[in-house]
Amino acid sequence: MIDLVIAELQRVLAAKDAAPAAIGADTVLLDGDLPIDSLDLATLVVALEEETGREPFKAGFRMFKTVGELAALFEAAAS
Amino acid sequence: MSLPAWLHPGFTLTDPAGTATAAELIDAATRLADEVPLWCRAGLPATDARAILQALLATEARQADLFLIRDATTGARIDHRIEGDRVFEVADDVPPGAGLVWLQTSGSTGRPKWVAHQPETLRARIAAGQPGARWLLSYGAGSFAGLQVMLSAAIGGHHLIAATAPTIGDLAGLAVRHAVTHISGTPTFWRAFLMALGDTDLSLTTVTLGGEAADQGLLDALRAKFPTARLRHLYATTELGTVFSVADDRAGFPAAWLHAAPGNLRLTVTDHGTLGVARGDEAYFDTGDRVTVAGDRVLFRGRHDDMVNIGGVKIWPEEVEAHLLQLPFVRDALVGVRPSPITGSILVADLVLRDAESEAACAPLVKAHLERLPRAARPAMIRYRTALPTGQTGKKLRMP
Repeated sequence: MIDLVIAELQRVLAAKDAAPAAIGADTVLLDGDLPIDSLDLATLVVALEEETGREPFKAGFRMFKTVGELAALFEAAAS
Repeated sequence: MSLPAWLHPGFTLTDPAGTATAAELIDAATRLADEVPLWCRAGLPATDARAILQALLATEARQADLFLIRDATTGARIDHRIEGDRVFEVADDVPPGAGLVWLQTSGSTGRPKWVAHQPETLRARIAAGQPGARWLLSYGAGSFAGLQVMLSAAIGGHHLIAATAPTIGDLAGLAVRHAVTHISGTPTFWRAFLMALGDTDLSLTTVTLGGEAADQGLLDALRAKFPTARLRHLYATTELGTVFSVADDRAGFPAAWLHAAPGNLRLTVTDHGTLGVARGDEAYFDTGDRVTVAGDRVLFRGRHDDMVNIGGVKIWPEEVEAHLLQLPFVRDALVGVRPSPITGSILVADLVLRDAESEAACAPLVKAHLERLPRAARPAMIRYRTALPTGQTGKKLRMP
């Protein structure tokens, strides 16, 4: 799952013409290290929902901060 | 030149240029007012809180109109342009101003509309607030909500921390560095802000949400992060402004309010399941916001019309569809809405290309065409299909 999140995140960066970043499980999504904002993150989540058929946020917002935490939410969601 | 008296002498503003006191802002505004002709129509790029506050004071003193320009492509009829502390004449054939403040609203196709406000009306709903409050400006400085935050701090004599085009990481850093106490933002802002803040300590006393429906997951996360803050979410409409605020940490509002709402407000669920609002003896105004009663709560369920709120921006998917259909190689387009844990909703598009057109050749052109729309109106995902799903009537199914 983590590899899929990283691959989709690189696609989001590429679509913005941003340079590929070194991304790992500990990479924080929105603290300024990556050139992405809320709309980019929403795009990432849609892509992951489409790829996995899973919807970890069906009941609303859940806190996550890093790439690894986002992957874990998708991992734990039933498909 | 005497300026209007609403700027509190205790106000301070911190922005990338440094910290300014109320006296310094008044000095600068007085010099600017000397340059602004009486009853002119002045335009100002609406990026910078300091420039906006100074221009508000100066143009009000000169009974001039002030246009806060967020999108330069729009046709604001101005005769003067404010740049820094200088004023330049740009036209001499426009009608006189009348001391109004003009704000730009954004639409889904990026053609913003101008809406005029009386300066007194902009200040009417502002309460004195707590002494010593330190506000972070999360909204764009030229938006209605941004002006409300700036004026709250300016009138209350508080400290305002503002940045120009900040990222969410910048805002989290500023909040921590300046020990901010008050933040007002959209649910989309708050979700991103919590993520950017992570485990860093921040002690907010007032947390306000507005512009979109707040979900329970977000309210719970905010309460966990800010256990002692005054937490409230506002319900407002374009037509009525702020209708009510909810402060019990729960999404929606109490079902009991359908029988007895606060103050002179009356609330009802209309025949087609939307929220009706009235004050006193007025007839109900249909807000178009769909609601359902769930136990002791009334919850918001999106719109009765096709409007979608994406991160606080109002978008009509049909307009985005029409924009895509302008491309000669697109045979059909369907723009649907998906719930998003980050921005509330997000658009997704299905496209059918004309025969003999390839996805590889068309995709970059589609992307470039969509970049002419405001970001919230651009679909997060585009699926290329051979045909669109249709209902029994042959009508396109507006579903993701």
